[in-house]
Amino acid sequence: MEAFLTCGEARELERTAARDDTQNRTQRKGFFTDTTLCIGCKACEVACKQWNQLPDDGLLFTGMSYDNTVALGASTWRHVAFVERPVALANQDAGAFSWLFNSDVCKHCARAGCLESCPTGAIIRTEFDSVYVQPDICNGCGYCVVNCPFGVIDRREEDGRAWKCTLCYDRLKEGMQPACAKACPTDSIKFGDIDELLETARKRVDVLHEKGMHEAYLYGEDAASQPGTEGLNAFFLLVDQPEAYNLPPNPVVPTKNGKDAWVSFGIAVAGLIALAIGSAMTKSEGCA
Amino acid sequence: MGDERVRYAKSVDPVRTDGRNVDESVGVLSGEASHQRVRHGDAHLKDVARKWEHVPSSGGADVTYYDRPMLKQSVWSIDIPLYYFLGGAAGAALTLGAALQLVTPREDRSTRKLSAVCHWTGITGSTIGAGFLIHDLGRPARFLYMMRVFRPTSPMNMGVWILSGAAPTAITTGLLLNREGVLGTIGEVAGYLSGLFGAALATYTGVLVSNTAIPIWQAARRWMPVLFAASGAATAGSVIDVFVPSSSCRTTQVFGTAGRLVEIVAAKQVELAANEIPKVGEPFRRSAPGLLWKAATALTAASLVATMMPGKTPSRMKTAGLLGIAGSLCLRLAVHYLGNVSARDPLASFHQQRGTH
Repeated sequence: MEAFLTCGEARELERTAARDDTQNRTQRKGFFTDTTLCIGCKACEVACKQWNQLPDDGLLFTGMSYDNTVALGASTWRHVAFVERPVALANQDAGAFSWLFNSDVCKHCARAGCLESCPTGAIIRTEFDSVYVQPDICNGCGYCVVNCPFGVIDRREEDGRAWKCTLCYDRLKEGMQPACAKACPTDSIKFGDIDELLETARKRVDVLHEKGMHEAYLYGEDAASQPGTEGLNAFFLLVDQPEAYNLPPNPVVPTKNGKDAWVSFGIAVAGLIALAIGSAMTKSEGCA
Repeated sequence: MGDERVRYAKSVDPVRTDGRNVDESVGVLSGEASHQRVRHGDAHLKDVARKWEHVPSSGGADVTYYDRPMLKQSVWSIDIPLYYFLGGAAGAALTLGAALQLVTPREDRSTRKLSAVCHWTGITGSTIGAGFLIHDLGRPARFLYMMRVFRPTSPMNMGVWILSGAAPTAITTGLLLNREGVLGTIGEVAGYLSGLFGAALATYTGVLVSNTAIPIWQAARRWMPVLFAASGAATAGSVIDVFVPSSSCRTTQVFGTAGRLVEIVAAKQVELAANEIPKVGEPFRRSAPGLLWKAATALTAASLVATMMPGKTPSRMKTAGLLGIAGSLCLRLAVHYLGNVSARDPLASFHQQRGTH
């Protein structure tokens, strides 16, 4: 009868169904942060802290330009970097000086190191394609902390759990945009469907190039530009090398290289067993 | 009017605030991070400005963001390297115990006794090690959440499954091996299983550290598991030689000595792999954990020399064992703290990713 399917056909059918299901369910949402529009007001940092009711993490004065936030962390989910350079930027009349700002955030990588390394399944991929840490599951093992190639996620000492940007999961479920994007006065932080953001971003780069700002480029916009993470759901428009903003030039999710270590594991386990058997076979002279 | 002012002052202390500044009598704490625990205290103004001699990130080849770390260093305490050490010794001991079961008949009393010693070494190491592992969790009560999922992409998850296979089978073996009848058979089977789990237990921690974004660990990923397995064998052999001298024999000595030899070779390979990018290998040359690493190699080498010298006396074998244990312990601590040094150096990651030689 025609009703019978071969194993391969059945598997193919299942795969197609799963793909369609994912496509219907997932609205890929994310950020496009255009650093040429950022004015360093830190409204995003404040909005994030307020909406998510994040505690402070101590006040300190660093002397690093206007950056007293220093880095992303367990209680800091937006961080504005202030880069002072003795280099002129095209279209700016400030002599041999330029001031760059970048509102950094969790990148919600298409392949996320934190998610893949999480031993409890606390870190999940949401229906918006964002990466979310479930606080009621996280047991604070700290493995995600060393697995994030961007140094984003961190464990809060007093709390014992790992925390990071949620892409305002609670707001998204209500059809709102994340607090930081809502608060951004210059639209440097754009929130939306990844496909649309990508189009906007590419147009923006073209416009900047036309205006003579040839340094402008996109960082992590898709899998082709950043194979190590297979693209970022929060990507950036930068005008200096990534290192200047404390972003890695070519981040790789650790599991992408995991095979090397597991092959070595296999060899080492076999070697250890062989050594044990070899040792056991030596004459046990002197044994009590 | 006056009422409201008093109410506000009651719940929000402007000096000792948690930064949320939400008066819980009028506002609700329901945000995503509202349950984040805060220790009220005055940690403010802990850092002061440092003097900058030049404009930071002023071009050149080595641009950084004010020399601030790009990565986060591990949040693990000393518990974790101690767990590597104990788990390594326990795992290797279990493997040796199972190997002895395999090659000797059940009637061979003395070898069977050594096998039991191995299993009890494994039981002790894996249970105390598990204690360290749980103690280091931010939420120890949630340890069992690790077993909600089976996730091959997470070496930590795999490790928990390995540990939860090794410890119970080891305990079963310890209690039932060499018994008569069905119980004895169960003990026999459990012994072989604990040997397999043990080999994995001694080795997986090498995958655990190298499957991370930390440059120095990542660079050494092809040798780390070998190093950890060898170090485990060295410790297991030494521990029996030192603490159960009545069971010390050619078998444990060969096992420990081979472990130490491979440990030294693998350590060198780890160093070479990291040094392929000079900045990645820098902590080996210029940091306190780098000295600890050298001390570990020196101790293990000294232990080897003491073992190899002709004319074995019990006291010298004991010294050799102690040196071997100290070497392995230093090695595990060094690996951990070298990783932290590496994480703090943004250039290590930048050079590694750009392939700067």
